[in-house]
Formats: sequence, structure tokens, C-alpha cells
Amino acid sequence: MSRYVVTRFLLMIPTLLAVAVLIFLLVRVVPGDIVELRLVSGGTYVTKDVIQAERARLGLNKPIWNQFVDWMVGLVRLDFGVSMWSGDKITHEIAIRLQLSLELAILATIIATVLAIPLGTLAAVRRGTWIDQAVQLFSVAGLAVPSFWLGILMILFFLTYFDWLPPLTFTPLWQNPAANLAQLIWPALAVGYRYSAVAARMTRSAMLEVLREDYIRTAWSKGLNRPVILWRHALRNALLPVTTVIGLEFAFLIGGLVVTEQVFNLNGIGKLIVDAISHRDYTLIQGLMLLVAAGYILANFIVDIVYAWLDPRISYG
Amino acid sequence: MARPVAVDTVSAAVLPLAAVRPHPLRRFARRYPLGAAGTFLIVAMLLLGIFANRVAPYDPVAADFGAMFIRPGPGHWFGTDAFGRDVLSRLLFGARTALVIGFASSIIGATIGAVVGVISAYFGGTTDLVLQRLVDILISFPIIILAMAIVAILGTGTINLIVAIALSFIPRAERVVRASALAIRATVYVEAARAIGAGHWRIIFRHMAPNVGAPYLVMLTAFLGQAILLEASLSFLGLGVSEPTPAWGLMLSGAAVNFARQAPWMAIFPGLAISIAVLAFNVLGDALRDALDPRLRT
Repeated sequence: MSRYVVTRFLLMIPTLLAVAVLIFLLVRVVPGDIVELRLVSGGTYVTKDVIQAERARLGLNKPIWNQFVDWMVGLVRLDFGVSMWSGDKITHEIAIRLQLSLELAILATIIATVLAIPLGTLAAVRRGTWIDQAVQLFSVAGLAVPSFWLGILMILFFLTYFDWLPPLTFTPLWQNPAANLAQLIWPALAVGYRYSAVAARMTRSAMLEVLREDYIRTAWSKGLNRPVILWRHALRNALLPVTTVIGLEFAFLIGGLVVTEQVFNLNGIGKLIVDAISHRDYTLIQGLMLLVAAGYILANFIVDIVYAWLDPRISYG
Repeated sequence: MARPVAVDTVSAAVLPLAAVRPHPLRRFARRYPLGAAGTFLIVAMLLLGIFANRVAPYDPVAADFGAMFIRPGPGHWFGTDAFGRDVLSRLLFGARTALVIGFASSIIGATIGAVVGVISAYFGGTTDLVLQRLVDILISFPIIILAMAIVAILGTGTINLIVAIALSFIPRAERVVRASALAIRATVYVEAARAIGAGHWRIIFRHMAPNVGAPYLVMLTAFLGQAILLEASLSFLGLGVSEPTPAWGLMLSGAAVNFARQAPWMAIFPGLAISIAVLAFNVLGDALRDALDPRLRT
């Protein structure tokens, strides 16, 4: 097992490297000079000297392979370079926002799991009844309702009935846990709904598949009672694919955060991505894209490890 | 003299059969009522979008500062916004924007992805390996992040948005179609085609491509829903179509929250439109998947 973990961990390095190369090239595909584009995007006129100075500051006047090596050396030391917009270190820009987004993502995952697994199981066990239909409606709607609209509706509701608006500043968890939760629970619900819809769907179909298995029939004919069959025999085995979905969707939560953080006025990674793109801050975009991809690759790694741990049949040399 | 008799026998033979086996579309509708409802909604949206200029009671972009924040009522069914523009008219024209971007990006993305997928499966070896590693990387970004990155390169606007969404779909389409194409490559008829000396491109386009039609269609329908959601999200973030073009996501950005207390209808109706549109394509996609690919039925 430990050997598998190590090999699987080392396998992430070439993938990450390939991702870095692709992102690096992607930013260089931008038609025209990124410094010029960035500086004149506000409609202002800038002299050639200013552009040259900015290029030199960002190291963009060096040959392309040199720029790549610089970036790589920086990455190894966890230095993502500087933002073209604010001039701050990208690592710092990310660090001050990571806590909020991570907390939001974890809360959303908890909400999604707590909703999805019981709902999906219930729907599978009561297949074809109104309960099943209601759960299916819940998940079909979850995939269709945009999370930013759900957020807007929540704000609308709280504003009308409780005169509450999302606070302008973020309260960290350790400062005031109650205020922190009150601030994050609604955006977490807005993002988590879609997430739980996906997971509930997966739980239902995995459960349906497992319930058809021979060993479940054996369990019934042995006269085992219902909870033992459902919880110990069926759900345990059905949870394998559900783990995958929950793990990978966790990495993809950033896609929901970009819109939800905007609605709830939260200064997290999602908002940073939107800002970076609106400001055409290419160095920051480069760093953030790498962060997103690294998150996905890491989630994949964790899912694989959890899988190997949950299912003793899986043994990779 | 013989001809009319022949026609009679034909119709006599066909009619009872037709009574036993109803039209395939009718059968689909009976079996998948949700899918039929989705189709109905999509057709309705298409018609409303196409004829928006005839159906819409007002000009969607003309500001009327004498008619700001009018409540939904007989004059303005869905009320008016901060510029006095009729919300219903903007929704109808917004359907046009959503559907144009949705269809264009989904068809382009799914088709290019499908072609690359079939090519990857057919040639195998190094071609497949290189393409799959590339797809692996592109798939590690959520679609919206990939689309946003492409918008950062190309800039905003309707055409760029279509390109951004289409490009983000390609790796996902490639994955789905490659899986089906791998199975087709192993079939006897592909082997037979190769045996009679058919060229690579003939086998790819005449023998393999038509047979991935079912997964392609299912995928396309799923993409349509996603594309509408993506367009709305990007426009909401200010990275999609820009004012004054009527677009559902754009109607929800900024103003809708700022005037939430005064004019909640500005926030409610566009979101409802997005949800219904995406729902319609999703339920149709699910029904198509169940009907066309019985292996995936759950």
C-alpha cells in the first residue's frame, strides 16, 4: 500500500509539469504583447519606454525558454511571480484568499454529502415511488438552476424578510466561529446544491446496481434484517463510485465559486480568478490556472488512495 | 392496370402495421414523457427566440426613463428594469442570444471533439497517446475556468464566447466519442473495409463516424444545457456578451442585486428562464441517452 502511495505520488510530477508547459504556452498564444494589451486595455496611451520597463520588470524581455525556466525555478520555491495588475506577489494574493475558499468548499462538500447519500439511497430503495421521483426532481433541478441565481434568491429572501445583506468583510473562523458560519453557510448551500444533485444521482444509480447483486439476494434469503442489508451490505459497496464523484467534484467546486463569491461579495480565489481575467492580468492567470489544475490532480490522487484503501481488491504493485 | 392494385396492397399491408407500431417519435414521447416535455419547451423557446421581434411587446434595448421599475402587471407582464426596459421583451431576445450561442458552441465543440476522438481511436499508437495526454490536461480544468481563460486570451463578445465555450467542450467530447469509436474500430465491418482497401479517411468518415451518432447526439444535448448555463454565468461575471445585448446572465448581474428590494422581478424572471432552458435540454438529454443507449440505463 505505502509503495503504491509513493509511486502514485511521484506520477503526479510529470502531469503537473505537462500542465505547466501547456498553461505557459496558452498565455503566450495571446495575440500581441501581453504587457501592451494590459496597459492599453483601459484606453490610456502609454509610451514605448513604459512598456519596455514593464516587460523588463516581469522578465518578459528574455527569450521564451528562459522565461519558462525562470517560472519553473520560481514554482519549485513556491514563488509564482508577481501580478501584473497589483504588483504584489502572486503567492501572497492567493494565500490571503485561500482560507475563505477552502472553508467554503469544505462546507459545500459537507452539505452535499449529508444531503446526497441519504437521498440517493432512499430513492434507490424506494425505486419508482413518489420519493424516488421527488429525489430525481431535486437532482435534475440542481443541475439546471445556476448557483449564482440561487445565491441572488437567497439574498433577496433575507433582505426582504430579515433585512440582512452579506457582510462586506470576511470574519475568519478562529475570530468568531458563529459569524463566520453565518456568513459562509448560504454561499456554501448555493454551491453545494448542484454538488449534492450530482452526488445524489450517482448514489442512486450505484445503489440500484448493487441492490441487483447476488450477494444482496443471498442476504435477503438468509433472513437478515433490512437495515443490515441496506447499510452494511449495499451502501458500503455503492459508496465507491460516490467517493470518486465527491472527490473530483470537490476540485471542480472552484467553477461554482467563481460565480458564487461574486454574488455574496466574498474575496476568495473565485473572485481573484474573475478579477485576474477582467484585468487581463496574465501572470496572475497563469498562476491561478496552475493552482486549479494542481487542485484537480491532487484530488485525483486522494481519490485513488481512498479507493485503494476502501476496496481491498484493488492492489497496485 | 396493375399499378393501382399494387398501391392498394402496399397501403393495406402498411396500415395495420402502423397501427401496431406507432410513429417512433410518438413512441419516444409515450415512453419518456419528461423528454417529450423538454422537447416541447425547446421548440417553444426556439419559436419565441426566432420570432422575438414579432412577439416581444417592446424594444428590448430602448431605455424609457419614464417607466422605470414598473411592477409586473397588464402593461409590462414581467415588469421593467432600472432603465425602464421591458423585462419580458429582454427575456425573449435573451432567448435568441442564449440559443444562438448554445447551439453554435455545442455543435462546433461536439463535432470537432468527435472527429478528433474518432481519429484518436482509429490510429491508436502514438497519435492516441499524445492526444489523450493533452485531453487529460485540458479535462483537469472545470469547463467554466477553461472558457474564462480562453476569454482572457480572445476578449469578450458573442463570437469569442462561442469560440471559448466550443473549445472547452472539445476535450470532453473527444473522451466520450473515443470510447465508442474504440469499440467500433474492433468491429468486423471496419476490418472488412480495410480488407477491400479503403483509405484511412474513408474508414473514419464513412464507416466509423456515422456509428458514433448516438453518443454524439446525447452529448450534444447535454452540451446545449451546459452551454446556456455557461453563457449565463460568463455574462453574469461580465466576461460574456456585453450591454446592451439582451442576455439572461447579464440581466442578473449588478442591477438585479442592487435593486433587489425595489424590483425583485428583475432578479426572478431571468434566472427562471435560464433554469427552465437548461432543465429542458437536460431532461431531453437524459431521455435520449436512455432511448439510444440501453447499456447506460439505470
